[in-house]
Amino acid sequence: MEQPVQTETWKARSLEELIRILHQIFAEDKVSVDEVQALMESYESNPEEWLQYAKFDQYRYTRNLVDNGNGKFNLMILCWGEGHGSSIHDHTDSHCFMKILQGNLKETLFEWPEKKGNGEMTKKSERVLRENQCAYINDSIGLHRVENISHTEPAVSLHLYSPPFNTCNTFDQRTGHKHKVTMTFYSQFGERTVC
Amino acid sequence: LPAGLSQWFPALEVLDVSGTGLTEMGTELLSLPCLHTLLAKNNRLGGPGSLPKGLEQAPLARSLRVLNLSGNRFSEVPPALLQLRGLRSLSLGGNRLHGIPPDIQELHSLEFLYLGGNFITSIPPELAKLPSLRYLVLCDNKIQSIPPQLAQLHSLRSLSLHNNLLTYLPREILNLVHLDELSLRGNPLVVRFVRDLTYNPPSLQELAGRTIKTRNVPYAPSDLPESLVRYLSLASNCPNPKCGGVYFDSCVRQIKFVDFCGKYRLPLMHYLCSPECSSPYSSASQSSTSQSESDSEDEASVAAHRMQKVLLG
Repeated sequence: MEQPVQTETWKARSLEELIRILHQIFAEDKVSVDEVQALMESYESNPEEWLQYAKFDQYRYTRNLVDNGNGKFNLMILCWGEGHGSSIHDHTDSHCFMKILQGNLKETLFEWPEKKGNGEMTKKSERVLRENQCAYINDSIGLHRVENISHTEPAVSLHLYSPPFNTCNTFDQRTGHKHKVTMTFYSQFGERTVC
Repeated sequence: LPAGLSQWFPALEVLDVSGTGLTEMGTELLSLPCLHTLLAKNNRLGGPGSLPKGLEQAPLARSLRVLNLSGNRFSEVPPALLQLRGLRSLSLGGNRLHGIPPDIQELHSLEFLYLGGNFITSIPPELAKLPSLRYLVLCDNKIQSIPPQLAQLHSLRSLSLHNNLLTYLPREILNLVHLDELSLRGNPLVVRFVRDLTYNPPSLQELAGRTIKTRNVPYAPSDLPESLVRYLSLASNCPNPKCGGVYFDSCVRQIKFVDFCGKYRLPLMHYLCSPECSSPYSSASQSSTSQSESDSEDEASVAAHRMQKVLLG
């Protein structure tokens, strides 16, 4: 993605409209990160529009595919039960946008571990993202861990990844050692994916 | 709760009174024979009267399956709660609990137990007597050690221990073959092998106990005081296959690092009956990748005269 000369200011009035505009934006050769982030943030979360994709699992967070962007991006909804969190991970050279649809998520940023990787990983910063906020990350910014730190409220987030990817590396916070993992979808287009 | 609730809605199955500022739930609950789900999170429950008296006899004790009391002010698990024998799912996340009562084992149908975000410092071994427990959340507490008996939770699929005060885990945790999820981040887990350890020589009672067990000396409950019968039942087997011995309280502690689930290198505490024993590698560590790493640090037996302080225990 590179910065084009002009960026539009979009307002997505529904999830359907958000997807439509995303298709429009990604049809171009050049896409602006700021534009996509502002568009995602402009959508005011309306549970009625996304409840069909929000399938929770008792044991861990779930990834539910909403749209596959004609191969240009993956749009998915992640459902986080109380206390659910991800490992520290990278984004396989892709862009990652994360918008909160319900509840709150804590994002902790980490530096990439040294090549030798034998010490505790360095925390860069942390923040709690509120409803409708949209965060952005890519590998040049760093690595992150995302978690629902609430013990009483589930959380739901909308993620856009471009280009789409299904493998990434997870990192052990204590040692910096990495481990490649394949990600799967708990559901696709509202239908539970049978393993 | 509004009076007459059970008269107006006798067939009520799900009741959600979350976020209503409730300080107690009264006898209205007792006459709801079909109630299987009660959600009362984010209230002001925790004092006496939070749960109604006479719960034991009420139909609720058998019908209730799901109880969510997260985000309240409980400083202890109310004894009345342990009467809910049919309970499958219990959440007390985000309260003020300092411990877990051993009588938690009364909830023998429990599958899901959420205790994250409290002030719990230790786990009673009785928790392991819940045969159907699949999901156990203990994150964000002050837990310093996990009792080895927890490995008896054969159904456990997910164990959440992140953000506690754990420095090691018991090696028995490797027996949890169905465990898919294990979170340990935010614990001060030791990263280096601990070779030095203390060894408290066994007491006479322990030596007698060991002899009875290893030589299979027969005894009946009528032969001994109840306390000694109980003591003898707590014998643990030395993991050294060549030893075949048992120990009670006096044992040698040794930390070994073992690969778990192919991902984590965990410091596991091995208990050996004497310094002459060396613990075998567990089946999990016998995979080729981890063996060489732990081999270099883990030598066979440790000299009995090593008396330097061990940092755990």
